[in-house]
Amino acid sequence: MKVNGRRNSKNVFLGSMLTLLLAFLATAAPVAFAQPPAQASDGEALFKEKGCNACHTIGGGDLVGPDLQGVTERQDQAWLKQWILAPDQVLASGDPIAAELLKKYNNVPMPNLSLTPDQVDSLLAYLGGGATTGGAGAELPAGDATSGKAYFVGDKRFKNGGTQCMSCHSVAGIGALGGGNLGPDLTTSGFVQSSAAFASFMSAPSTQTMGAVWANTPLTPQEQADLYAFLSKASVQKREPSALLQIALLAIVGAAALIALANFYWGKRLRGVRKPMVERALAMKAKK
Amino acid sequence: MDIRAHVSMVFHLDKCIGCHTCSVACKNIWTDRKGTEYMWWNNVETKPGTGYPTQWEDQEKYKGGWEREEDGKIHLRLHDRAKGLSNIFYNPALPTIDDYYEPWTYDYENLFNAPEGDDQPTARAVSMITGKPMDNIEAGPNWDDDLGGSPVYAANDVNLDKLTEEEREQLAEIERVVFFYLPRICNHCLNPGCVAACPAGAIYKRGEDGIVLISQEKCRAWRMCISGCPYKKTYFNWSSGKSEKCILCFPRLESGQPPACFHSCVGRIRYLGVLLYDADMIEKSASVSDEELVAAQREMIMDPFDPEIIAAAKKNKISDAMIAAAQNSPVYKFVKKWQIALPLHAEFRTLPMLYYVPPMLPILAKTKDGTYDIEGLNQEGLPAMLSSLEKARMPIKYMASLFSAGNVKEVEAVYRKLIAVRIFKRAQKVKDYQQAEVTEALTQGQTNPDEVEAIFRLTSLPTYEERFVVPPLGRESAVEAWENPLERKTEAGFGVRNKIAKRKF
Ligand code: SF4
Ligand code: SF4
Repeated sequence: MKVNGRRNSKNVFLGSMLTLLLAFLATAAPVAFAQPPAQASDGEALFKEKGCNACHTIGGGDLVGPDLQGVTERQDQAWLKQWILAPDQVLASGDPIAAELLKKYNNVPMPNLSLTPDQVDSLLAYLGGGATTGGAGAELPAGDATSGKAYFVGDKRFKNGGTQCMSCHSVAGIGALGGGNLGPDLTTSGFVQSSAAFASFMSAPSTQTMGAVWANTPLTPQEQADLYAFLSKASVQKREPSALLQIALLAIVGAAALIALANFYWGKRLRGVRKPMVERALAMKAKK
Repeated sequence: MDIRAHVSMVFHLDKCIGCHTCSVACKNIWTDRKGTEYMWWNNVETKPGTGYPTQWEDQEKYKGGWEREEDGKIHLRLHDRAKGLSNIFYNPALPTIDDYYEPWTYDYENLFNAPEGDDQPTARAVSMITGKPMDNIEAGPNWDDDLGGSPVYAANDVNLDKLTEEEREQLAEIERVVFFYLPRICNHCLNPGCVAACPAGAIYKRGEDGIVLISQEKCRAWRMCISGCPYKKTYFNWSSGKSEKCILCFPRLESGQPPACFHSCVGRIRYLGVLLYDADMIEKSASVSDEELVAAQREMIMDPFDPEIIAAAKKNKISDAMIAAAQNSPVYKFVKKWQIALPLHAEFRTLPMLYYVPPMLPILAKTKDGTYDIEGLNQEGLPAMLSSLEKARMPIKYMASLFSAGNVKEVEAVYRKLIAVRIFKRAQKVKDYQQAEVTEALTQGQTNPDEVEAIFRLTSLPTYEERFVVPPLGRESAVEAWENPLERKTEAGFGVRNKIAKRKF
């Protein structure tokens, strides 16, 4: 019995190793043996599907990010490939070109789109193929800043049910306490440059969080226009130093009020029995 | 009538020599773990004194126990529901560690490892809280032992508040040497303040024996029990984040042994036995006026020989062995039959199930012109025992404040009986008291020679089996009320079912 048992378990072990090996070969095979040439047409589809066009044009001028016409000549092929593959890593590595681009484009970083090397190749084929996408999207209609603020802070609801901007973003001009800080502060992030860029980004946001939030609840053009009008106001694009003071003051006053309240409510709390008792007794003795 | 059994206790204070063996026995078994350094589930206090934690009897400060309304209803002094909720994250009535004491140990290693030098190496005191050397130890769990520091500690005994200036003076006569010891453990109360105060429902009283326990699984560290118990007998373990208290050594009891403090007691002052009581009377007994409290509590204890009571007990599934133990119980004799054991601070209204036989008191004496002058000697030059109560140096009011919620008559009756025992036995053995005096003593003590003899025997010559009548607790059958023990047997075996989750520091 015992010997049998041992042999059995050995067989099971060998069997499972074999299965694993086969499974590995099966998945690895297409990569290893059959690599189709990169197709510019795939690249074009990807350009739209991945939302590159939200920030970039080809030959249509800068939006949030640079116009990509001639980019394959401007930049080294290997660098470009690495950049599109993992822009966050390139940025983190302190690459000088990446740093300069970041600065030039208002510190809005290129998101990592989780592309495979094949997909990057197709994209590069598309970009190098001389195609153009035409200009940026149409300019937004005239917006109303007051209504934009109402949308931002949630006084007015978005038509498609999107959540108010304030829950994740802070910005000057909505009171001292500001909004959430999950997303960047829109006063200092330099996100808002031209209404066309704003519209193209908001229609299909390329960052992971924004993409997830807005994919199913897109903003209407009028809502975008109102928000843009509000966000581009001079008073919103600059934070007064007094605002900082205001929030510090609020914090101090709030803390003091809470402490005072607690002290009032628990004024008669037990603060120690032995020490005061001994001190009292010794003081009385000293008096005598 | 709802008859239940309770494993109860009597401490005979006349026999306590203040040796703290009980405390150490308990400490070594239960509270030498991390987080329990400052706990003394059993502690021995010197009275008059402020005790441990300091002035624990002062409920104006500590807010323990129950309070009686005008209309005779009682409510927890700590809080009602609303206040309990608003205080849940901050309990304002917690003792500080300083009110217990800062626990310390000594650097014993230095005695062996110190480099050779001109001086004897010393073992410095090291704080068990900070781990730093303590140069100035300010307090301990029995800091005022034997009246140490009495101008501070004995003078601040809460029970002295009820005395007149003159009575306080009387206490302080002759170098202030009048005192006695008061050993304390959890009273395993019938109307426990700790249970009532717990917001988590973690504290429970075992149905079959009345032992009050804190579930280490359910405790959520609100620490309301610590305030709710007027005897300050629940403690917070800072390491596990759970409260702990005396468990009456239930694992020992379940295997037929008395609790460790009982077993080790040098003075043999401790008695353990079963009482049968009527649980329907709890609320009423806890709500009577202060004067009636001791009598009301005694009323709840039922005669274990009464067939009606036995029938009612059996109806409640109390085992025959338990009933037999109740009939043999030394506690029943002291508390109910002879009525010479009283609850400590009955006015806290938790109906404590630990009873004390008060200590005989030294009689009034004064130093006059440098000689020791005892008042009122009889013809033979012996102290007049009969009138010793009136001349007791420890004012009877003080004893009443401790043992009968201020009702002087109750304590007096106990003392009259104890004095009768003394005079009777003395007349018998030493033969220096007249028969008239003996008869008078028996009348005053409302007792008779048989009873006196029985009291004498159980006080002075009891055997181990007479002191500790530990019933078979029958935990296994009690458990069957809510779960099937055999289920565990086939699953994981007996023992700890879930690992107790500990808070990490
Ligand atoms: S003495 Fe024991 S049972 Fe009574 S209230 Fe205190 S902890 Fe609870
Ligand atoms: S062991 Fe007994 S005699 Fe010693 S202090 Fe404790 S109760 Fe008193």
